Amino acid sequence: MEMTIMGQKELQERVHRAQLCTGCGACVNLCPYQVFYQDQTIVLDACDIKEGRCFAFCPRTPADLEAMRRRFFAPGDLTPEIGAVKGYLIARAADAAIRTGAQHGGTVSALMALALAEGLIDTAIVAEGADRFLQQGVAVGDGAEVLKRGKSKFITAATVAAFNRAAKGPAGAIGVVATPCQVFALAKMRMKPLPERDNNIDKLKLVIGLFCGWALDWRKFTALLAARTALEDITGMDIPQGRRLVVIYTRNGALEIPWDEVAPIAREACGVCVDTTAEFADLSVGSARIGETWETTRTWNQVIVRTEAGQALIDLARRKGVLEFREPPAGVLDELKAAARDKKKASLEKIIARTGNPEDLIYVDRRDPVIRAILD
Amino acid sequence: MSKLIDPREGVRVLLMGNEAIVRGALEAGVNVAAGYPGTPSSEIVQNLADVAGERNLYVEWSVNEKVAMEVAAAASFAKLRSLCAMKQNGVNVASDFLLHLTAAGTRGGMVLVACDDPGALSSVNEGESRHFARMVEVPLLEPGDFQEAKDMTKWAFELSEEIRNLVVLRSVTRMSHASGNVTLGRLSDAQPKAEFKYDGFILDPLEGPVVSAPVPYKHTLQQEKLKRVREIFEGSPFNTYAGPEKPDLLVVTSSACTLYSREAIHVLGVKDRVGLLKLGTTWPLPPELLKRHLASTDRVLIVEEVIPFLEENVKILAAETALEIGAKTFFGKNDGTLPSIGELNPDLVAAAIAKILGIDHVAMPPDYEKKATLMSFAKAPNRELTFCPGCPHRASFWAIHHALLMDNRLGFVCGDIGCYSMAALPCGFSTLKTLHAMGSGAGVASGFGQLHRFGMEQPAMTVCGDSTFFASVMPALVNAIHHRADLTVVVLDNSGTAMTGFQPHPGLKVNAMGGDVPALDIARICAAMGAKVEVRDPFQLEEARGTLIGLLEEKGVKVLIMRQMCALSPEKRAKKKYEVQVDEALCLGETCGCNRLCTRVFRCPGLVWDKERKKARVDEVLCAGCGVCALICPAEAIRKEEVA
Ligand SMILES: Cc1cc2nc3c(=O)[nH]c(=O)nc-3n(C[C@H](O)[C@H](O)[C@H](O)COP(=O)(O)OP(=O)(O)OC[C@H]3O[C@@H](n4cnc5c(N)ncnc54)[C@H](O)[C@@H]3O)c2cc1C
Ligand code: SF4
Ligand code: SF4
Ligand code: SF4
Ligand code: SF4
Repeated sequence: MEMTIMGQKELQERVHRAQLCTGCGACVNLCPYQVFYQDQTIVLDACDIKEGRCFAFCPRTPADLEAMRRRFFAPGDLTPEIGAVKGYLIARAADAAIRTGAQHGGTVSALMALALAEGLIDTAIVAEGADRFLQQGVAVGDGAEVLKRGKSKFITAATVAAFNRAAKGPAGAIGVVATPCQVFALAKMRMKPLPERDNNIDKLKLVIGLFCGWALDWRKFTALLAARTALEDITGMDIPQGRRLVVIYTRNGALEIPWDEVAPIAREACGVCVDTTAEFADLSVGSARIGETWETTRTWNQVIVRTEAGQALIDLARRKGVLEFREPPAGVLDELKAAARDKKKASLEKIIARTGNPEDLIYVDRRDPVIRAILD
Repeated sequence: MSKLIDPREGVRVLLMGNEAIVRGALEAGVNVAAGYPGTPSSEIVQNLADVAGERNLYVEWSVNEKVAMEVAAAASFAKLRSLCAMKQNGVNVASDFLLHLTAAGTRGGMVLVACDDPGALSSVNEGESRHFARMVEVPLLEPGDFQEAKDMTKWAFELSEEIRNLVVLRSVTRMSHASGNVTLGRLSDAQPKAEFKYDGFILDPLEGPVVSAPVPYKHTLQQEKLKRVREIFEGSPFNTYAGPEKPDLLVVTSSACTLYSREAIHVLGVKDRVGLLKLGTTWPLPPELLKRHLASTDRVLIVEEVIPFLEENVKILAAETALEIGAKTFFGKNDGTLPSIGELNPDLVAAAIAKILGIDHVAMPPDYEKKATLMSFAKAPNRELTFCPGCPHRASFWAIHHALLMDNRLGFVCGDIGCYSMAALPCGFSTLKTLHAMGSGAGVASGFGQLHRFGMEQPAMTVCGDSTFFASVMPALVNAIHHRADLTVVVLDNSGTAMTGFQPHPGLKVNAMGGDVPALDIARICAAMGAKVEVRDPFQLEEARGTLIGLLEEKGVKVLIMRQMCALSPEKRAKKKYEVQVDEALCLGETCGCNRLCTRVFRCPGLVWDKERKKARVDEVLCAGCGVCALICPAEAIRKEEVA
């Protein structure tokens, strides 16, 4: 597969028009040509640069996955299903107040707040809700601000666009909470594909990835909810482990929407995503698998430690008593791997259905050993 | 004192065609003139307005051409002499009234000056007004030079009074805008009193009510008058012939083509073989005159621009008189001897004559055109059609085009006629997707605004100028609001009829004659109609864009007035608001991160790309100092400083 870097024209043809854009925001705030509006990345004017950062950083343009794995991870840690695993934990924020403001166990918020407090980073990029359930990435400099922005946003937040902006500014060390596509874009930046225009990527010191199955299309989502609740009343939403439904928490109680109604409003691009565990992060966090009631499960996270930096942060959190842990039940890691593998396979099959050619996987490298292991 | 009111009879002055027409009207003692601006007609009403005080005239820029003709008609009904002037497209607008007017007849001399634009030099089509004369059965005059432009105009008023109906005087761009020597005649000193008589018998053309009924009677009368006109035309000095008694070829022509034909005959040196029948009275054709000349030869070339109007009329006459004059071979547009589109010129006419006569003539060396193009490129900078530096339309369309993209539903803009029509081109970011008559953008968008019931999800938008708003957008807006269309209207309010030279319109406090008049407020009109209205300054790019995006999401009719004066307005021209400069150290130039946004995409002519230094630069001479480019630069390299 050709890894040539191209320009905005090709990005538009191969990613935007092909409905592959994840809305990660990697191509936004680099220049005046792409903006993020509502939950979409919009190309405002044509740019004719042959090799652009927009194309180079986009998670939906070809990448040499093997080179990236070699660069970021210890070879012994690599697994074909969920990437590098240095450690696997069930954890949550020790402070119950943090958990209340969080999606699950509050691990992500607690770790980011800790990184700021300890000076590992001076700027954290997180997602915050805006008007009408729209989301945006923001840069904050203080743990308390991180804690205010807990909870998962199932509408894309263009976090990488916020990183791009922050990296241009006075920030010295930046940490980012990101979904897998965003994590992947940041990893591509770290490879410095266009060395003279490296986007100050060396400022990126910490990436906490979120597990992710899909994000929703905002317009379709608002249409779906129009008959059920006012957007302003929504306080959160979740996908309870193992049940085929989505829960919308509102000021007037929880709404359960069957999965079959939600699936069609997922972003087109999410259907062809091969990464559910944010394989290129320092740490990846998702909802726990502990085989208990959802009410309990909900208050815990599962965490994959992938890099030295990730391990150091977990160790620090343990020493400082910021996180609490419990033993992962037997077999959950295998369960997670099987689920991740299934999603990879399903996505690859969708890609092949699109191209009609089992050798053409659009943005995925057919020769990559992990991909070969799944397909062959 | 304006040369147009020079009292010295018999002196020769250099006049533009439109000025000659004005002088002719003044010599005829015109009292009232009305029009709507449109190239190439605009100077006529403006020049009359300029001497309105001295000559005791009433002159107005009417809200549109139909109203202009109505205003002029009223003067005629009150036995004054009146003139209305408009470009061809305007005659289309006025044509509804035109048919009624000519069916009912006029009283004081009334002349319609229709200026066509063959080649569409400043139009979006090559419309023809000559047909209207035939359609509504009134006389048509076409001056063939500048003296005639004056003399014919004067005579047109007399003819109108003789037949008690409108006379159409048709000019073309090259006649209206070129200049030539004209010998002045006497200025009229008539001081008629206006009075409208209506108590007479219904059939009394001067004292009865002005109506077209009873139709059989009035229509018959009108046709009889036209027959009378034909007789008058037989002896008209505006029809001339030059050439041998029995020419090998007869060229029949009129208007600006007279000059081209004369030159072609001269260049080919065939004045002994080719006869030139130049007609000034082109409808109805004088049959005896035509017959006489047609009988003198058997080859006839008809030279006219665009549609074969004259050609067809001559052919009909020839068919009717075939037994007397014999069979002819006709050359012209129908057989392809001359092109049916665009302007003609002496070369084209010479080539046609040479071909018919079998003369070896190369009008231009084959590579002449190529060489000429090359030379003109070498000498003149290659300038694309674009908005002026500091033009508010560039800023408005920047906001509009980005708002539509961000809205992300493939929305589009329906346009109409104004400087802003250029927004169909890259200078306006190719934003207009339909482009039709004045006011049609709003009407077409009003129609699109109903199609959601057929599954259309794209939002419809329209733009119009402030003058156009009054001229013809208001009815479309009423229609859209009344029928609950979903549509966003952007009024590009640049405080004047900028395209045609800042003629005042009902939104301004001054009229054509410089008098004080009440200004009508577009925002209040729209609000009173029931639209949601916002007013923004397009130079505040982000705010304007944000407002538009918000409006696009709402249902119903929403109006955004983008208010910012035209860069060429007399108020602005004098002074720059900002001193603007590029900080070279910050300019990103061609690199990824900017790629020349200012000179490649935004493209204000005030910004130039320095190829050597690979940096943008502000051309101090061209820059109008609007400061807008400073807002778009991603590197804050464009610095603006308010001029004290
Ligand atoms: C779109 C989406 C889909 C997900 N799907 C799954 C899934 O299928 N399975 C699973 O186990 N887990 C999934 N998660 C992760 C899960 O919802 C929790 O975020 C994770 O378990 C961490 O919980 P926490 O309590 O530590 O998070 P919190 O402490 O609440 O912190 C969450 C952090 O993520 C940031 N954030 C929220 N939304 C976004 C976003 N859209 N983009 C970038 N940053 C964001 C917040 O600003 C906050 O900093 C998904 C998350 C998202 C955003
Ligand atoms: S190539 Fe560079 S300047 Fe052009 S659109 Fe992409 S990121 Fe922007
Ligand atoms: S996936 Fe990200 S980088 Fe690629 S086009 Fe979309 S927003 Fe831009
Ligand atoms: S927009 Fe700014 S950075 Fe880009 S070329 Fe122009 S002046 Fe330079
Ligand atoms: S300030 Fe900028 S946009 Fe305005 S006229 Fe000058 S160069 Fe053009």
